[in-house]
Amino acid sequence: MDAAEVEFLAEKELVTIIPNFSLDKIYLIGGDLGPFDPGLPVDVPLWLAVSLKQRQKCRLLPPAWMDVEKLEKMRDRERQEETFTPVPSPYYMELTKLLLSHAADNIPRADAVRTLVKDLWDTRMAKLRVSADSFVRQQEAHAKLDNLTLLEISTGGAFLTAALRHMHKLRSGPRPPETAASQDL
Amino acid sequence: MPATQKPMRYGHTEGHTDVCFDDSGSCIVTCGRDGDVRIWKDLDDDDPKSINVGEKAYSCALRNGRLVTAVSNNTVQVHTFPEGAPDGILTRFTTNANHVVFNRDGTKVAAGSGDFLIKIVDVTDSGQQKTLRGHDAPVLSLAFDPKDVFVASASCDGCVRVWQISDQTCAVSWPLLQKCNDVINAKSICRLAWQPGSGKLLAVPVEKSVKLYRRETWSNQFDLSDGSISQSLNVVTWSPCGRYVAAGSTNGLIVVWDVEAKACVERVKHEKGYTVCGLAWHPTCGRISYTDAQGNLGLLENVCEPSEKVSGSKVPSSVEKEYDDLFDGDDKGDAGGFLDDNAVGISSFPRGITNDEDDDDLMVASGHPRQRNHILEDDENSVDGAGLKSGLLREEEEDHTGNLRGLPPAASQRPLWDGPRPTPRQRPFQPGSTPAYLTHRFMVWNSVGIIRCYNDEQDNAIDVEFHDTSVHHATHLANSLNYTVADLSHEAILLACESMDDLASKLHCLHFSSWDSSKEWMVDMPPNEDIEAICLGQGWAAAATSALLLRLFTIGGVQKEVLSLPGPVVSLAGHGEQLFVVYHRGTGFDGDQCLGVQLLELGKKKRQILRGEPLPLTRRAHLTWVGFSAEGTPCYVDSEGCVRMLNRGLDNAWTPVCDTREHCKGKSDHYWVVGIHEHPQQLRCIPCKGSRFPPTLPRPAVAVLPFKLPYCQTASEKGQMEEQFWRSLLFHNHLDYLAENGYEYDESTKNQAVKEQQELLMKMLALSCKLEREFRCVELADLMTQNAVNLAIKYASRSRKLILLAVEKAAELAATEAEEEEEEEEEEDFRQKLSAGHSRTATEWGQPRLRNQVEEDAEDSGADEMEENPEPHRHGQNSFSKSASASDVPAVKSGAVTPGSQGRVNPFKVLANSKEPAPAMNPPRSTNILDSMSRLPRKPSAPHRAAGSEKSPVIKPLLPRPKSKQASAASYFQKRAAQADQPSGVKAEDPTPTHTTSPAPAAPTSPKTGFQMWLEENRSNILSDNPDFSDEADIIKEGMSRFRVLSAEERKEWTNKAKAGAVGDGGKAKKRKHGADGSHDAESQEEAAKENLNLPKKQKSLDLSANQKLSAFAFKQE
Repeated sequence: MDAAEVEFLAEKELVTIIPNFSLDKIYLIGGDLGPFDPGLPVDVPLWLAVSLKQRQKCRLLPPAWMDVEKLEKMRDRERQEETFTPVPSPYYMELTKLLLSHAADNIPRADAVRTLVKDLWDTRMAKLRVSADSFVRQQEAHAKLDNLTLLEISTGGAFLTAALRHMHKLRSGPRPPETAASQDL
Repeated sequence: MPATQKPMRYGHTEGHTDVCFDDSGSCIVTCGRDGDVRIWKDLDDDDPKSINVGEKAYSCALRNGRLVTAVSNNTVQVHTFPEGAPDGILTRFTTNANHVVFNRDGTKVAAGSGDFLIKIVDVTDSGQQKTLRGHDAPVLSLAFDPKDVFVASASCDGCVRVWQISDQTCAVSWPLLQKCNDVINAKSICRLAWQPGSGKLLAVPVEKSVKLYRRETWSNQFDLSDGSISQSLNVVTWSPCGRYVAAGSTNGLIVVWDVEAKACVERVKHEKGYTVCGLAWHPTCGRISYTDAQGNLGLLENVCEPSEKVSGSKVPSSVEKEYDDLFDGDDKGDAGGFLDDNAVGISSFPRGITNDEDDDDLMVASGHPRQRNHILEDDENSVDGAGLKSGLLREEEEDHTGNLRGLPPAASQRPLWDGPRPTPRQRPFQPGSTPAYLTHRFMVWNSVGIIRCYNDEQDNAIDVEFHDTSVHHATHLANSLNYTVADLSHEAILLACESMDDLASKLHCLHFSSWDSSKEWMVDMPPNEDIEAICLGQGWAAAATSALLLRLFTIGGVQKEVLSLPGPVVSLAGHGEQLFVVYHRGTGFDGDQCLGVQLLELGKKKRQILRGEPLPLTRRAHLTWVGFSAEGTPCYVDSEGCVRMLNRGLDNAWTPVCDTREHCKGKSDHYWVVGIHEHPQQLRCIPCKGSRFPPTLPRPAVAVLPFKLPYCQTASEKGQMEEQFWRSLLFHNHLDYLAENGYEYDESTKNQAVKEQQELLMKMLALSCKLEREFRCVELADLMTQNAVNLAIKYASRSRKLILLAVEKAAELAATEAEEEEEEEEEEDFRQKLSAGHSRTATEWGQPRLRNQVEEDAEDSGADEMEENPEPHRHGQNSFSKSASASDVPAVKSGAVTPGSQGRVNPFKVLANSKEPAPAMNPPRSTNILDSMSRLPRKPSAPHRAAGSEKSPVIKPLLPRPKSKQASAASYFQKRAAQADQPSGVKAEDPTPTHTTSPAPAAPTSPKTGFQMWLEENRSNILSDNPDFSDEADIIKEGMSRFRVLSAEERKEWTNKAKAGAVGDGGKAKKRKHGADGSHDAESQEEAAKENLNLPKKQKSLDLSANQKLSAFAFKQE
């Protein structure tokens, strides 16, 4: 799974917008949305929110966790603890990226939020690398990682499994001659 | 001249602090709980130098460039000053030292510790130590004798001792203090002090006075005390000149005495009343720096400095001389100087020093009237110019005291009046605005948009933003005229300002929806008339002015009516043609407002709906919002968060619909209402944490609250449903209003509402049934519509809970309403459906006769004639053809398929009407044949179709029914109920015999059906097959199942037989009918009795949930 696919999944997350237009309920395969009352907050999927925002049809309300103080706390906790701490949203990184790139004007202290989320991400990725490293070094058979988001798994997972496969090949020594023979055929 | 108290500033984190001046007095040095020593150039120094000396610093002393601190690692450390470099450890204790002091020349340090010891250490050689043992508790404070002979110490053991340094013995010990076990528990830290210079006197703070002991004799020379001291004194320090003693108390009072005169010369109160725990006198000039137990640092200036202009120039010199004298140890002094000084000191307090006011004078004297004003948030007093007029100050001070200390002082000056006090009238406001004094505020937030006003140094502007950008784009206006009130609608922006100097009060309208090119207009008010409230409606604008006038304008700027308001306006709101005015009716008392309300309609026919009625408010509340719901019902909100709505269904009374405080999490949280919607039911408001209104930034988000009428026991199912029902009624009143006033509205909404209400009523009925509250059921039935009553009856009969009582009553209700022609039509419908459907099982009695008859009549084809010849219908033809022919057909069909469709008709009417044929047998009493024709031939008409289109369905629907025990039981019951109703039905019908006239089609009721006849013949068979059958019902059931097994032809044959019999009976019909009635009644009673015996199990099986489902199901079928 690559980042684009994860982002696609993340776009199904609900965010709150304040529309500046009026529209009855819309009935979609994924569920009903609306009704849209101007000035009244309504929950819509991220993809719709971004699309409406691009057309200047709404104002976005940032998710509750997208707040500098809360993020600071989360980052500090993430730094203090050895293991992964629970994240505010399973798609926090994707949400942050999309919201900040399209609706930065509706998010108070957007720059600080960006930095904090990046910090959080970096800390987590560092942890992931460290744990992958110790996993490989100690030649463990399995490991348990909690509170990882999809994007984080997709970032490190593919590489790690490929690397493990190669290492396995290297460790299992020279190939038996039959295989070599078969290759010759 | 009084000392100047500078405002306190943050020095250290909360906790014990200590303070001293450096030798030259150029900086203040403090230490505190945070373990830092800070060096302040002066009080306003924003960047003091910090030296970290440990985790916590308990005490510090500074002399000759050495900073000695007692820190929490149980050491006494030396740092260089002012560099702050560590310079070694002087001594250690087993616990931390509490106080460190230098001797006069700075060569020795004395430290008193929590391990009961006092150590005297040579600063240059820490090996030279002397330990003083003798205290039985932690040492609180120390004081070095200026002559290096003695050390005085105070300890938690309650003793104050004086030690001879040379031989380390205790010279004297006074048990002066309260005993305690640790420093933190000590009532006072008892910082004592020797008089500088000669060291003649030792000052010890003991409770509320300072005791002075003479050197050598150790006798108590005298005490210094003052009436203003209410808490024990904590700290004492001498002025460097040795003439004054300053003491700080645990409640923040700092008092300075002149020792020679034994008179108090200064009293300064700590601005927050914290414990003073550090006090240091500037080495040269009259400044005292002090610190409190919360880590703050303060400074008193001009303390006892006789340099003020008032005293003239002679005094300073004398004082200087005297100061020098003192410093030289010569304490003879200059009597004149003292006198002068005293005079100065006392002249600051010209009034009595003993009474309470003295304190207030002191406050003034200490020069902070302005600050105090600030604290009191009393901005009308400006004392700037009144600095020296103490009389004036006094008065104001007294006012402040009144404010500050509650009522007593103020009350003592006013005439005593314990009764209700008038409430100040609330000021006019615009709904959805935040207070005008804010620099950034909302002028309006309503359902159309937001108007914000910025009024700061850079900018004075108004921002208009629309929720729906399709109304208009956002606008930015310069606010040069200083508009204070605004309103916003889909058509225009209305702004108004008050009059200023020579500019009149103006009304400014930006009519953006105008189709011509000039989109704004402005109107000046007459002189001396200020606009206080404005509002916009559809096509008009209104402004209420201070001249108690309500001025109306068209949206284009034409002046319209001018009305007089009955009182000063509070607020206006407009919606469509309605104008909602709230004004002061009079003066409220004890916190209540006395408001009146007018509701005007400014449409084509102008009228006043509310004529100045009182506006109900929560006690001690004021109005905070008025407006209309989106549907046009007036609503308002008071400061207690109660939302009330006009109940048009209850002669325009006000009903509380929501208590926003219920939804608040915190006590100081509020909801700021911005709009109300009745459909869907939404209270739109902005949650404000810890305030009554939201700030403009960050932009607040709207939340939606549900409505809840304050009904009792809403936790119970009953209360909940009652609340829902009445809320639904209330919130759909607007539909009636709209209909009445010729507005368009959605019919489906109304139907939906009615359905919802009836459903709730049915549920309540079901609940009452379960609780066996039959009277309540009848009451509920009174609230129902016709259809629901029918359902209710059906429900009641099925659930067998209401032994006919409720049903009968409901039937009466229904019967009285059954007077209109159209309803009769309904009855007709019903009959057909009834015969087609539900009650078919009760074949032997009543209705089924009709069916037989119908089939017979159908052959006469009277119906066709009717449908083809509408002429006979003289009146009600349309309705007839609609209801009878249009609705009958589907009704019959559905009746054949689902018994549920029965719910549409009124069984009672039918039962009543089913008697119709009987009187019809009599010679026609009516002279109007057409009349009768219009009615009677109808009967056959629909059944004819039914019979024609599908013959078997007439019987078919029977098949599934008896299979279900429950259903058959129910149908028995239905029949029984119906039978029982017959008599009353007859009575009800008798007075109006004109309805039923035609002899021909009104065939007599057949006494027997095919089934009955068949049953009679086959009864013996059944009985022989099932000898255990003793019950008539069982026989009938068995018979029915057998009858059904017969082929259609056979059944038909039986039916025809029955008909033939009936026809043959023609002449005797009436008598037979009576007979039959009688026998049926008897039979039905028997039946009922049997059923009562037999059926409790079934009854039980019909538990409530099932019943509710049933009733709900019946509704759905509709």
